[in-house]
Amino acid sequence: MFSYNFRYELKLLLRSKWIQLLSIILLLLFGFSGYNGKEKVAKRKADIVAAKNEVKENDEMMLRLLDSIEKGMEVSASRWTIPTNPMVVGNYNPRVAAMEPQSMAFIATGQADLFTHYVKPKVTGDDFALNFTEMTSPVQLLFGSFDLSFVIIYLLPLIIIAFSYNVLSSEKESGSLRLLASQPIRIQNWVLQKLSLRFFWLSVLVIIALLITLSILGITWFSTFISFLILIGFILTYMLFWFAFAFLVNLGAGNSAKNAISLLGLWVLFVLLVPSTLNQLSTTLYPMPSRTLMINEMRGLKAEVAKKQDKILDNFLRDHPEYAINDTTQTRGFYHRYMASQQLVKEELKPVFMAYENQLQKQQAWVERLKWVSPAITIQESLNKMAGTSTGDYEHFRKQVVVFAETWRSFLTPFLYNNQNFTQNNYHDLPQFEFQPKSVTEQPKILGILLFIALSLFSIGFISSEKVKRKSMLKLL
Amino acid sequence: MTRKTFFKESKELFRDGRVRITMIIVALLMGVSIWISARQYQNINEQYKVAKTSERVIWDSQGEKNPHSAAHYGTYAFKPKYPLSLVDQGVDKYAGTSIFLEAHKRNEAQFSAASDQTGLARFGDLTPDFMLLFMMPLIIILLGYNSFTKENEMGTLTLLKSQGISSWKWVLGKWAALFLPILILTTALFMVAGLILSNLKDFGVFDWSSLLWMYLIYTTYYIIFVNLILFISAKTKKSGISLVVSLSLWILSCLAIPKAASNIAEERYPYPTRQEFAANVLKDKKQGLDGHNPWSKEAKLLKENVLAEHGVDSLHKLPFNFDAYRMQKGEEHEAEIYFKHYNYLKDQFAKQSKVYKGMAVFSPYLPTRFMSMAIAHTDYGTHWDFSDAAENYRIATQKFLNDDFAENSAYGNWGYRADANFWKQLPAFKYSPPKLDTILSQNFSNLSILSYWLIGSFALLLFIKKM
Repeated sequence: MFSYNFRYELKLLLRSKWIQLLSIILLLLFGFSGYNGKEKVAKRKADIVAAKNEVKENDEMMLRLLDSIEKGMEVSASRWTIPTNPMVVGNYNPRVAAMEPQSMAFIATGQADLFTHYVKPKVTGDDFALNFTEMTSPVQLLFGSFDLSFVIIYLLPLIIIAFSYNVLSSEKESGSLRLLASQPIRIQNWVLQKLSLRFFWLSVLVIIALLITLSILGITWFSTFISFLILIGFILTYMLFWFAFAFLVNLGAGNSAKNAISLLGLWVLFVLLVPSTLNQLSTTLYPMPSRTLMINEMRGLKAEVAKKQDKILDNFLRDHPEYAINDTTQTRGFYHRYMASQQLVKEELKPVFMAYENQLQKQQAWVERLKWVSPAITIQESLNKMAGTSTGDYEHFRKQVVVFAETWRSFLTPFLYNNQNFTQNNYHDLPQFEFQPKSVTEQPKILGILLFIALSLFSIGFISSEKVKRKSMLKLL
Repeated sequence: MTRKTFFKESKELFRDGRVRITMIIVALLMGVSIWISARQYQNINEQYKVAKTSERVIWDSQGEKNPHSAAHYGTYAFKPKYPLSLVDQGVDKYAGTSIFLEAHKRNEAQFSAASDQTGLARFGDLTPDFMLLFMMPLIIILLGYNSFTKENEMGTLTLLKSQGISSWKWVLGKWAALFLPILILTTALFMVAGLILSNLKDFGVFDWSSLLWMYLIYTTYYIIFVNLILFISAKTKKSGISLVVSLSLWILSCLAIPKAASNIAEERYPYPTRQEFAANVLKDKKQGLDGHNPWSKEAKLLKENVLAEHGVDSLHKLPFNFDAYRMQKGEEHEAEIYFKHYNYLKDQFAKQSKVYKGMAVFSPYLPTRFMSMAIAHTDYGTHWDFSDAAENYRIATQKFLNDDFAENSAYGNWGYRADANFWKQLPAFKYSPPKLDTILSQNFSNLSILSYWLIGSFALLLFIKKM
């Protein structure tokens, strides 16, 4: 019976032009979204390279200047841009702290359009003044991006719904159900076989379309084979979910239109309503403290600190006697006072700013727990993490930058307090930023759980229809 | 006959359990979303008031200080929230809310709400605009997908053919039956919104005509959907297929096309990255007059010109402090540079807008969205307007401070301190958003695209025949 079903189904799908139509649609969708993803990644890489080149140029200029000065020559630069001053190096020759794209970055834009991928922390200014948001038109942020993850999360389920809403009901409506009832196969087995075959064919088409798209776009998927397999795993499991819903709805034995409405209702619920409600709840449960009020607080503190700069410097030097010992000149200027008070501002403001990160982490943890409520959220989170563009990834980057900014500062401040010149020899010791991507480990676990839920849905359908078999069969006929 | 069709269709819809449940759910969600938005609106406005007054107190109580130190110390401009944001939040979530106004630098608005939220925020919020723009068209689809197909499926088409009803009367009856519940729902919603808004404490900025325009825009949007769904229903044979086609139309116009448009717009007319932008500005600044650098070529040129103009041979003989004068000239030069670079951004966005308008041919959602945001003062245009106003205020503030410095101190006197009461003389920053008629004339193209859609979709209905 299965082999007969297999052949019949294939014939049906080919003759109704379903397979042909689907191939074209999938190729178009994957092609367009893959192209968009690739362009974004290319731009991101180019931006980072350009920034690094600019730094290189500036560095060469700085080294030339240092060289001239060390040889005792006259230089034509203004007094406060001469790089023997460590603060000049720290401000005018910052390093690029860049977040290089991951190999799978093209699959999901995630938060990539919202946040910047490189910053140049300076010695002055506070870490909190580092602006991590990107300069994007808010309209673009509002509409979002047509990326692979959009196609997978939003569009693929709709294709599945269009592909499977009337598996059983069309038989009923065309009258062939009576014929089917005389066959030696149980109705739920038959629906299951039919849906499995459709799942099989759709999976084949999706994989082929994805492979074609990636090779046309020149994305080397083979080098990241494991990630690619996991991506396929996520797509297929998500598809399986929607087939499970289709199975349940089909067994409900309504007419085609009712089935379509029920499935679409599920789509609206899981893809639109549940995520937006959860988001609303997470911001209500863990509200962000007001940023405008934070500004007030920050300003008040800075004003106070500015009034007491001299005292702050004295205290700072008392805490750091090494500076007083190493330096014979004991000259103290603007930067000495500034850096010391900046240190204080930073310490005082830390709790204020940590409140934001903490609150965001709480929201994140809450979402992490509740993501299982909707497969769309689970998949979105997983794809973003895979692409390295999730909220967590950017938080990870921010933290590394803050640490690096401190390294940068603490490399240069001893020069300042020791009143020691920055020289060519020190150039090679300048700290460099190395981005460490967040490791993703729980992918197999998520896949396993999703698969388990999807299969449970199938068995629920199987068991419940077993119980009401008699009744439903009568109703169907 | 039209009336009979109308009553029959309405009765059918009313008796359908699914329709009733959906309507109840939608009404409930609408209520919740309005409640949430109203609460948010009040919260944010309270914070805005507190922030604004305490920032002013901080500014006023600087004590004796050099005016240029005060210029570096700076002040903040906070973006207010407008009453109609209750109906459409627009891009507010993605645009910053406060601009730091300091010497030598034009800053961008900081702290967008979206950057303080999880990735879930990108799915959208449960706000009235989400319900109005996404859910209502879905309701129209649910109510209307089988309007014509059911006649075929139930076999009533044969009966109908024997009746002496003309096609257009029949269509009109169905149209009215589908549109009426939508109209009632929309009207009720806008009435509630109007009542809430007019009862808010700071009613000042809210006017009923804006709300009425919004109501008209949304009603037009729904009429377009009603027409399209009826057309699809008439042209397909089976209800299931009609539903799937209608839904594809919905997802195309509300989700896929806006996203695709945003990708195309970005690819064709990209914004520079924040760092690139800053680097470009810096490059231009280096070439011109720097108020802090008296040794540059430009500064020397300025000195010669000023000396010649006043017919004196030394800066000390000038009737004002030349340091402060140069500072002001430098400020003006920098302001010009920022003007140029921000204009480039605006240009890019104007070009992007054209892409959106071009894509609006395929999606009635786009012109509706842009119109609605514009009227609610939550669009990108208003944000630009606000940031321009803040910039003008910044320039005026710099002039105010530099002038005081120049007039009340002698050349070389960097130790000059302005009186502690001086800061209070700076006028407060005031911003009022563009008026309704300005918005309407600025968005004329969106309005006309929407009317083309309206006319075009009505024209489609003419093709419906009883066959």
